[in-house]
Amino acid sequence: DESLFVYDCSSAEKQPLGEKGQDGKGTDKGSDDILAFAFSPSGDYFALTDDNKRLILFRTKPSWECVSVRFVNRRCTSLVITAAEDKIFVADKSGDVYSYSITEPQADGKLELGHVSLLLDVALSADDRYILTADRDEKIRVSLTKAPYSIVSYCMGHREFVSKILVIPNCPDLLLSASGDSTLRLWEYKSGEEVHCCQLSTICGPQATKPDQKFTVSRITYCCQGGYVAILCDSIPTVYIFQLDATARQLVYKEQISLKHKGWDIAFEEMGDLWILQEDKEAPLLLYRACDGQWKAVTDDKGLQKMSKYIQDNWTVFEGFVGAESYYSHLYKASFDNMDEYLQRKEERLQQQKKKKQDLQHASSGQAKKKMKAEEPSL
Amino acid sequence: MAAEEEEAAAPPQKRFYRQRAHSNPLADHTLSYPSRPQDMDWAALFPSFFPPDAAPGTAPARVEFVDVGCGYGGLLVALAERFPQTLAVGLELRGKVAAFTRARIRALRAARPGAYGNVACVRANAMKHLPHFFRRAQLSKLFLLFPDPHFKRTKHKWRIVSPAMLAEYGYVLRPGGLVYTVTDVPELHQWMLRHFGEHPLFEALPPAQLAAEPLLPLLPSVTEEGQRARRAGRAPNSAVFRRRPDPPAAAP
Ligand SMILES: C[S@@+](CC[C@H](N)C(=O)[O-])C[C@H]1O[C@@H](n2cnc3c(N)ncnc32)[C@H](O)[C@@H]1O
Repeated sequence: DESLFVYDCSSAEKQPLGEKGQDGKGTDKGSDDILAFAFSPSGDYFALTDDNKRLILFRTKPSWECVSVRFVNRRCTSLVITAAEDKIFVADKSGDVYSYSITEPQADGKLELGHVSLLLDVALSADDRYILTADRDEKIRVSLTKAPYSIVSYCMGHREFVSKILVIPNCPDLLLSASGDSTLRLWEYKSGEEVHCCQLSTICGPQATKPDQKFTVSRITYCCQGGYVAILCDSIPTVYIFQLDATARQLVYKEQISLKHKGWDIAFEEMGDLWILQEDKEAPLLLYRACDGQWKAVTDDKGLQKMSKYIQDNWTVFEGFVGAESYYSHLYKASFDNMDEYLQRKEERLQQQKKKKQDLQHASSGQAKKKMKAEEPSL
Repeated sequence: MAAEEEEAAAPPQKRFYRQRAHSNPLADHTLSYPSRPQDMDWAALFPSFFPPDAAPGTAPARVEFVDVGCGYGGLLVALAERFPQTLAVGLELRGKVAAFTRARIRALRAARPGAYGNVACVRANAMKHLPHFFRRAQLSKLFLLFPDPHFKRTKHKWRIVSPAMLAEYGYVLRPGGLVYTVTDVPELHQWMLRHFGEHPLFEALPPAQLAAEPLLPLLPSVTEEGQRARRAGRAPNSAVFRRRPDPPAAAP
């Protein structure tokens, strides 16, 4: 089939204004921007959520069609479809994960689990048994999909928000994660054990423009064929490619592809072709192919030419994102506290007391003792 | 901190440690907490349980009791007297209050060498840091005494009991482990009964065992907040919940 399927969110059903969401809160007006999307593992389903808090489900076979439009409680950050293709799990900004049935495509969502801080990603193990959630603190939580109140493990070690997680499809016990702490980590996720940590600043550092450059991974894509991992970092016009050594359980840095513009998204095809979407109307789409272990740009591909033209013809859709601010910079902890100041004052006070005590050493201390006793909290 | 150590002998004075009643548990505080449980230096908190000459191969002591929002530490002191061999830690979000409780324990240790070595207080946010400090199924008792009620609906998400937090309590507690709750706020008591009652990992302790639970009579009056409630004539409501077994295939 040669024709492209187009669905215009701005013409889709909107939640009537003033209508209360499931949580009883009034709705606030959002845009039609798409916030998250995912295919089912087989590719038969596709779901997206947008800034209007809609969850829109599509069937892709025999041809694309919209199955349902539902409404979520909060703006979503990530979603995933089960391998069984019976449910969509949607992670949101208040830290909750809701499930939405595919078999009952109009049914309301069901609260499955919650974190106390906002969620950035949700993933499932290949057999749907485990649901993994990554939050804006440093946590990755592993829960049983069928009993998500039961936490199997936490993968602890990241020092900033966890931006992306990915269960390696052909190494089903391994989880790959990325964080605002500029690391990629591999985990044995059922036990929560970290098996490898890769400091991106030492690998990507030499090219960095700023000395304190952060490598916040905004996209990860994986190719089972060869075990290649490609990543894109926030505001850095480079794609970094690694290879997973499944036996040593390590990531081995391979090479980088420098872009002329900011990268927006990346995706591997099954056989290892790498698609790159970048912030450039002239060449929005790039295609790289591995030959003899080196990634080379392909220009004469029919599919590439067709898609590039299509994106260019519809550039108005993308225009709004040109020069957009970093999505991640506000997630770094801007800590506030008055503890340091307080501790300093306390230290001063203690020094003073010590001095006073020394001065009063020979004087009767009975009075002082009594007073302290009175102020000791009673039990 | 040099001066903090020297201060040891004198009991702390509360007036130096006053702080606003509520601290936002969802905000970012400059707290220091371990990245992972194995990175925590428990020996610094419980030196007498980590002797330098311990035989190699002996399992290091582990915290088993946690007092969530321990305030000025009344429960910890009581636990030190009743369970001198069990490590108990109080988590307190407000820095000055935690500093007071630490000073209080230091003074008690100095006054009676050999005692109070099993209790300690750390400044931490229990809503965010439990999995940083504790491993799965590490704890046998968890105390929630007079938690902040946060009456306003918009502040309910600050409550220390919520479906999300119960999943974490279930994670750090071993099956059979107990959660003790006391509050003088009837609405909060109902809230806690409802949430623990609805959570598949918890069940109320059966009446016969509840009656035989030795700590229960002590809890309403052992803490500073409990005494305040009593002076004000507000009746405490207590409850005990037990961590049920894991669902099949939850344990790794
Ligand atoms: C009303 S007081 C009760 C203190 C003590 N349990 C008692 O009975 O005297 C509640 C305490 O919980 C602390 N708190 C509130 N939220 C907390 C959190 N997320 N983590 C640790 N402590 C918290 C507060 O700072 C406060 O000291």
